[in-house]
Amino acid sequence: MTAVEVRGLGKAYGPVAAVTDLSFDVPPGEVTAFLGPNGAGKTTTMRMVLGLVAPDTGSATIGGVRYAGLRRPAATVGAVLDTSGFHPDHTARAHLQVYARMGGFPRHRAEEVMDLTGVTPFAERLTRALSTGMRQRLHLATALLGDPGVLLLDEPANGLDPEGNAWLRGFLRELAAQGRAVLVSSHVLSEVEQLADRVVVIREGRLAVAGPVADLYGDPGVLIRSPGAATLRALLPGLGEGVTAECTAEDALLVHGLPADRIAAEASAHGIPLHEITPIRPTLEQTFLNLTGGPA
Amino acid sequence: MTAFVLAEWRRLISARLWRWGVLAAICSGAFAALLALIGPENFDPPLPGLHTTEGTRVVLGLLGLLAFVPALLGTSAVAAEYRHRTITTTVLYAPRRWTALAAKIVTFAAAGLAYGAITAAVAAAGLFTAAAAKGVTLGLPAGEVLGLLARIAVTMGVYTLLGVGFGALLRNQVAALVVLGSYFYVVETALLLVPGVKALYPYLPGGATAALTGFTYLADAVAAQAGGEAGALLPASLGGAVLVGYAALAALAAVAVSLRRDIT
Repeated sequence: MTAVEVRGLGKAYGPVAAVTDLSFDVPPGEVTAFLGPNGAGKTTTMRMVLGLVAPDTGSATIGGVRYAGLRRPAATVGAVLDTSGFHPDHTARAHLQVYARMGGFPRHRAEEVMDLTGVTPFAERLTRALSTGMRQRLHLATALLGDPGVLLLDEPANGLDPEGNAWLRGFLRELAAQGRAVLVSSHVLSEVEQLADRVVVIREGRLAVAGPVADLYGDPGVLIRSPGAATLRALLPGLGEGVTAECTAEDALLVHGLPADRIAAEASAHGIPLHEITPIRPTLEQTFLNLTGGPA
Repeated sequence: MTAFVLAEWRRLISARLWRWGVLAAICSGAFAALLALIGPENFDPPLPGLHTTEGTRVVLGLLGLLAFVPALLGTSAVAAEYRHRTITTTVLYAPRRWTALAAKIVTFAAAGLAYGAITAAVAAAGLFTAAAAKGVTLGLPAGEVLGLLARIAVTMGVYTLLGVGFGALLRNQVAALVVLGSYFYVVETALLLVPGVKALYPYLPGGATAALTGFTYLADAVAAQAGGEAGALLPASLGGAVLVGYAALAALAAVAVSLRRDIT
């Protein structure tokens, strides 16, 4: 099964480093989210993987082969890039037929991908008259013509309405479940939070973190409000290794390393009243913003 | 490669451009018919009439000047890939980028020749009809007229390739049109004023075109302007080969420079 390997990839535009020493994998059978704020280098990276932009350093391979060296590129990798277009005079069907021919795929393949992606209802419409959502579906259909094992999608949810977005999520999950390697870039974490198995987060062209989504969730903690906050703060760290407690206000304490029931039992044993005890978990959004240097 | 050519053909016939192409080809042929109907003797300044060799050649030669139209259509077709950004998808399907351009060249060679054939057919019908209507006999034997028309058809095919080559090199149809147009109408004439360059004239695009179309009126005028007699032109086939060579050079330059650029 093919997968994408990015190793030490770098690209500078004049004095501006767009991507620096970037390495990550896109394994088969999973959806990998490629996250970063706008301008972080996501698009440049994807274009380097696809051979559209020549890297200054490093390499990107698909199943061990550079894109330009693939024997049947369109049958190996399908890509949706935000800037690729359609001839305004072509119908959606004609567009797919041009590329079905170019890839040497059977003629009925255009009809199949139209059915798969919901393009059929507007197959005879000129591409100039398509809505953004329709264009995204047509891009996806084009990417799927060759039934590729690897999908690289740059912001595929752009312009989709909530319904289209839900459809896309289900569709991409299904494609991954069929064993394909799926890379989806986004600058909006909530778009991919329910979709991705893994994340690759980049910031200013450098890798911030890569791994399973679950690893991104931070350490859970417990928030306590109590008039005896100061006493608890002195008491709790003695209960185990790695237990920390910090006052976030005069009557508030944030505890890490102890479950809520232990803290409640301890407070009760010392006769300290608790006004609030809340287990808290940093959201993925928070972690993402911390990693990408956005507002905390 | 066959797949790429089939795809380019499909791309061409799926857009409206080809219909404009057919229309332009018919109009070009009709233009020759119209000139014949008016008669070169009624031009300003008057030229020898249709019943003379020169008169018939002038009408055919003016038709040959319309070869820039299919060149423009060829340029548009290639530049459209950049304008509408389909180039991204095309290059993803053809990462060895020269192959996509080669497919376009093959496709547009066929399309350009078809354009030329339509023009020649309409022009032939128009010429003979106009001559019959005016009750004159063309100043050239029918076989020779058809031969010259065939050469014009080939010229249009070759010019389509020039358009494709320069379109791929410059990636912008307006720029390509300006470069081709200013070359033929200004630069070459200016070049001929440089001492010694005149000897090269048969190998310059204008001279090669004159050889291919068999229309030396412009070449003679250029020579007169530059002072002196027009040099001997190449045989038609060689003139055609020189023009194909220029188109090939433009395509090679496109492969070496334009197609290598990052697609962002």
